[in-house]
Amino acid sequence: MDINSSLLLSLTTFVYLGAAFFYLLVWVFRLEKLGIAATLTATLGLFLQTTGIILRWIESYKIGIGHAPLSNLYESLVFFSWITILVYLFIEYRLKNRVIGAFSTPFASLAMAYASFSPNVEDTIKPLIPALKSNWLIAHVVTCFIGYASFAVACGVGIMYLLKKNESFKSSYLINSFPEIKALEDLNYQTIIFGFLWLSIGIITGAIWANEAWGTYWSWDPKETWSLITWFIYATALHVRFAKGWGGSKIAYFSIIGFFSVLFTYFGVNFLLSGLHSYGAK
Amino acid sequence: MKKNKDSVIDYLCSVKLAIFLLIVLSVTSVFGTLIPQGEPLNFYQERFNPTFFNLIKLFRLYDAYNSWWFLTILNLFSVNLICCTLKRLPLTIKLLKKNILDTDAEKISRISMKKTIDITNNNDYSSKIKGILGNTKSKKLDDGSEIITSERGKINYLGVYILHSSILIIFLGGILGAILGFKGNLMLLEGEKSSRIINPRTSEEIPLGFEVRCDKFAVEFYDDGRMPKEFRSDLAIIDNNLEVLKTQIIVNKPLTYKGITFYQASYQSVPEISIEIEKKNNKKETLKLSAFDTINIPETSLSLGILQFLPDVHGVPAARIWISDGKNFTDAQWVIKGKSKVFGIGTEQEFKIYLSEVTEKFMTGLQVKKDPGVWIVWLGCAGLIFGFIVVFWIPHRRLWVLIKDNKILIAGQTNKNQFQFERDFDMICKKIEETAKV
Ligand code: HEM
Repeated sequence: MDINSSLLLSLTTFVYLGAAFFYLLVWVFRLEKLGIAATLTATLGLFLQTTGIILRWIESYKIGIGHAPLSNLYESLVFFSWITILVYLFIEYRLKNRVIGAFSTPFASLAMAYASFSPNVEDTIKPLIPALKSNWLIAHVVTCFIGYASFAVACGVGIMYLLKKNESFKSSYLINSFPEIKALEDLNYQTIIFGFLWLSIGIITGAIWANEAWGTYWSWDPKETWSLITWFIYATALHVRFAKGWGGSKIAYFSIIGFFSVLFTYFGVNFLLSGLHSYGAK
Repeated sequence: MKKNKDSVIDYLCSVKLAIFLLIVLSVTSVFGTLIPQGEPLNFYQERFNPTFFNLIKLFRLYDAYNSWWFLTILNLFSVNLICCTLKRLPLTIKLLKKNILDTDAEKISRISMKKTIDITNNNDYSSKIKGILGNTKSKKLDDGSEIITSERGKINYLGVYILHSSILIIFLGGILGAILGFKGNLMLLEGEKSSRIINPRTSEEIPLGFEVRCDKFAVEFYDDGRMPKEFRSDLAIIDNNLEVLKTQIIVNKPLTYKGITFYQASYQSVPEISIEIEKKNNKKETLKLSAFDTINIPETSLSLGILQFLPDVHGVPAARIWISDGKNFTDAQWVIKGKSKVFGIGTEQEFKIYLSEVTEKFMTGLQVKKDPGVWIVWLGCAGLIFGFIVVFWIPHRRLWVLIKDNKILIAGQTNKNQFQFERDFDMICKKIEETAKV
């Protein structure tokens, strides 16, 4: 059988689902020994996926329409899950705690599963219309998605924080293995900051691209506007610390609301608001 | 009364208002993404029920982001930001001027993050510690003890100012662009030139101050033959009757001349129709014109025009043609390629008219823009990112080391990322501890 990008990327979906399953087992049943298996599975998935993405890139050149694999919903979902796993593995390495994996690898595997199996997502390599041929577009997609992935992790950590904080779960067996409340609060905040920086760069590179392509850096297009709304929500979260008595819980809520806004920017605008206005030359 | 006024100003300076405004902006920005923007009013009348339509009209939800209430929120936001900045600036300057060596044993021992190390021998701790910390200042106290300090990242306090003023700079760039700039469209046939463009909103003409000519337009398709791969226009700039510039533009590679930028936006193909006229004396004449155009017939005072054009009537093109002597018009008749029709006006002038050939001619669609504010916007964007990095990744860290009697007291403070600092602080304490053991 020929090894091609679709095969590797479909395989990645199953490997990530397996990793998410392991991380959940590690968390729920305290199967610490399975922890290594979880990390190895996630790393294997990352390796397969990286190879798959590179192959897809090469394949697009072979069929004469070469472009970075970041041009449509399928490719962006693959990239989103790739960067989520990467950010998560980095955090696991830094914090030496695998429970967060149970709250972030599912996002990555669901994104892959959706990309691979949903009939709404077209996975063939398509040529680009002239407006999309720009290095700024690549910079734009990459930076936005680093932001989105960080926000996904922040959302997972925010949920963990709220669970840990909740009095009625104080003695809960499942919650006890979470990192310390302080560490969760800090991680929640740090991932928001990290995501905010990349979202800001993402919005700016998008503006530069739009200015290069049709001379308007900002046109209040629904997608643009929703990314700005997301940006406002996280900007609010950053200021919440300065208003009296608004501590970690408020920021955790913002990280959850913010991630819904990310999801809406990403999917909602395409599926619910489509037809109002779309990019591209006629 | 005075108190009231103060509290209003306090509120204008507050982060509470900032949070409120950010939430209001998040919510109000949604409207314009749900309701299509910039359509004529009857578009909304047809689609929405009367109550909702009236709301759309009242709050200008058809142009939400330029409406009075949205601009009011943005203005309030700017005022909030300016007030808050001005209020905090003196405090920040004080912080910047503060010398961390202005302290004593008592104050250092009150810092919460600290560690004490016992000294057992008579090493020269002072110079070793200075070597470990780097960038140190020190002073000897009367009782023979010594305070060593090390400080990093004072610029952190300026980060927030760089960041916030960058937001205002972006607004400024946007406003300048709106006041001093313009935007419009220009359609040019191959070979055609123009010195003015059309503002699509007002349909007004805007003079460019020079001429732009399209020498050639080409569109390239992917192998499937339907999806465009690239649009290219060969443009020439003519300034003061001199051709000063010739260049090719494609989508994403515009041309800028004297601050005015030409973007490849779209194209249209226009059929160019060759018409053969056979006069009574058998003299033949070929004329070229595009659909809906009018042209003079040579050696006569007559004109000929094409009213309608169909590219494919049972496999051949056809044009509906009329002739006029300035007062009277003939009936418009369909002429199919390969066949002729006789046109007469008066008795003397009768013509046989053929449609001999149809070729395709392109019209390039250019977006034309002048925006002197755009560089200010980019400056603001760069400042925003730079400020953000300074705020979060260049924390202000301070260390104090007090060598007194046979103890070393190490204390540290940071204003950002406590978590990371605690780790680094432990590392430093370990290093100092090691020197103490030697
Ligand atoms: C969307 C616009 C805004 C963005 C992106 C933004 C961003 C930030 C960031 C990143 C910080 C640093 C937070 C931290 O140190 O943890 C900050 C702090 C702050 N912001 Fe904003 N801000 C915005 C609007 C405003 C507005 C309108 C005000 C008006 C009062 C404001 C007031 C403050 C204050 C007082 C601080 C604390 C400064 C300090 O550390 O002493 N911000 N802002």
